[in-house]
Amino acid sequence: MSANLLEINHMKKGFDGVGVLKDISLAVKEGEVVSIIGPSGSGKSTLLRCATMLETMDDGELIYLDEKAAWSEQNGGENHSVYASRADLKRIHKHFGLVFQNFNLFPHYNVLKNIIDAPMSVDKVSKKEAMERANKLLKQLGLEDKAEAYPYQLSGGQQQRVSIARALALQPKILFFDEPTSALDPELTGEVLRVIKELASDHMTMIIVTHEMQFARELSDRIIFMEQGIIQEQGTPDEIFSSGNARVREFIGKFGK
Amino acid sequence: MKRQAGQTCLVLVYAKEAPDGAQVYNQRLQTINKEAPDNVEDRITMDIGKMLTQLGSGMITSTEIFLLTLLFSLPLGLVVSFGRMSKNSAVRWITKGYISIMRGTPLMLQLMVVYFGPYYIFGMKISAAYRFTAVIIGFVLNYAAYFAEIYRSGIESMPVGQYEACKVLGYSKAQTFAKIILPQVIKRILPPITNEVITLVKDTSLAMVIAVSEMFTTAKAIAAAQTTMVPFIVAAIFYFVFNLVVATAMEYIEKRLSYYR
Repeated sequence: MSANLLEINHMKKGFDGVGVLKDISLAVKEGEVVSIIGPSGSGKSTLLRCATMLETMDDGELIYLDEKAAWSEQNGGENHSVYASRADLKRIHKHFGLVFQNFNLFPHYNVLKNIIDAPMSVDKVSKKEAMERANKLLKQLGLEDKAEAYPYQLSGGQQQRVSIARALALQPKILFFDEPTSALDPELTGEVLRVIKELASDHMTMIIVTHEMQFARELSDRIIFMEQGIIQEQGTPDEIFSSGNARVREFIGKFGK
Repeated sequence: MKRQAGQTCLVLVYAKEAPDGAQVYNQRLQTINKEAPDNVEDRITMDIGKMLTQLGSGMITSTEIFLLTLLFSLPLGLVVSFGRMSKNSAVRWITKGYISIMRGTPLMLQLMVVYFGPYYIFGMKISAAYRFTAVIIGFVLNYAAYFAEIYRSGIESMPVGQYEACKVLGYSKAQTFAKIILPQVIKRILPPITNEVITLVKDTSLAMVIAVSEMFTTAKAIAAAQTTMVPFIVAAIFYFVFNLVVATAMEYIEKRLSYYR
């Protein structure tokens, strides 16, 4: 088994004939923290949505832990992605979790139920085991006193922490974040970033789409700069922040204070 | 020619199967009068007692129509709303046509079609017992169409993020709908559902058109026979109190579901 948890090869995706992702290849090793930065419309979120299979890509390969979720096949002179069977995809789905920009918590469930429901009804984990996981996560994320609260009673930062707990309760190998702090004010942003940092120090494999340059710099093993549907530049934070690429410098100069 | 024959039959069937309630009541009244011709006082007291018994059985029939209609049309409406939102365009157009007809024609007419249709179309003999069944079928088909559109509005108003969260967490489609979507949809659609249910209470009076002796049929028959407003007042109070109960019950359910936003 290779050390790559995730491998994306030649991913292409367009909407109504407009190419949003043009040949993206990317590999993520176990324990690696990768940040994806770039201007709006550069394809960052689409890349994340294709990787988490919320969108189907047009062409390319998607591999989790050496298991192919999708591969490219020639069909009528053109290459198209073919996805694995439903049963295979269901298994592959367990490898990753996703934290949304808008949390997407279940408003009719309290915090505890939000966290334990998926382990219990999807992974058929016992209630006892699910509760143990939930309590541990609530403690870890500083939400012990919020177990009985409903999402609407929480601040944005607390809601985002609950949604991180909800994703972690399924014990994914790799966790995606889609602009996790974009819906939060600066004060609340801090508490969510702290949690993500803690996860990083626990060697959680993470791929984070973010506009928080300073955060990406401190936390990431690797930063990917995307623009116009391609990876323009990637490297360690130091390499990116001292990049000779004028466009990268301009972008970081705007956001990176 | 054939059509004319059919029309004659309509009259015959109607007279045979569905005699006007007032006629029946007049006949009964004559019997009563024969039995007690000398004592006018007794006759009136007796009539009031009998009137209330008759109205009471009408109330029971109205309540039965109400409950059975809800029992079948609420789930059927959900199925119809699925058809209306189906990926299969044939299914979508068929349900769309069904909803359009149900909402676009009078319920009174639909009841007549359901009741007399089997005779005209298939030449089946229709029994008096079918009358109540026909009312239920007519009401259920009609109300399911309205409920379907309410369900659809609720389901389509759900944020995409809820579905995406479910998908990423690995919920099956059935789990997503039953555990996450439907409970939230119910909360959202309660106000329009309450409107429909209140309308249904009053609509049960339309069963009169095929002479099912529900509340209003009975009230009208007695009023005509006795030349009195009392049955109408009783009927008005019945519908009003019924709807008061419905509104209170729905308000209670809304309150119960207000633990989240």
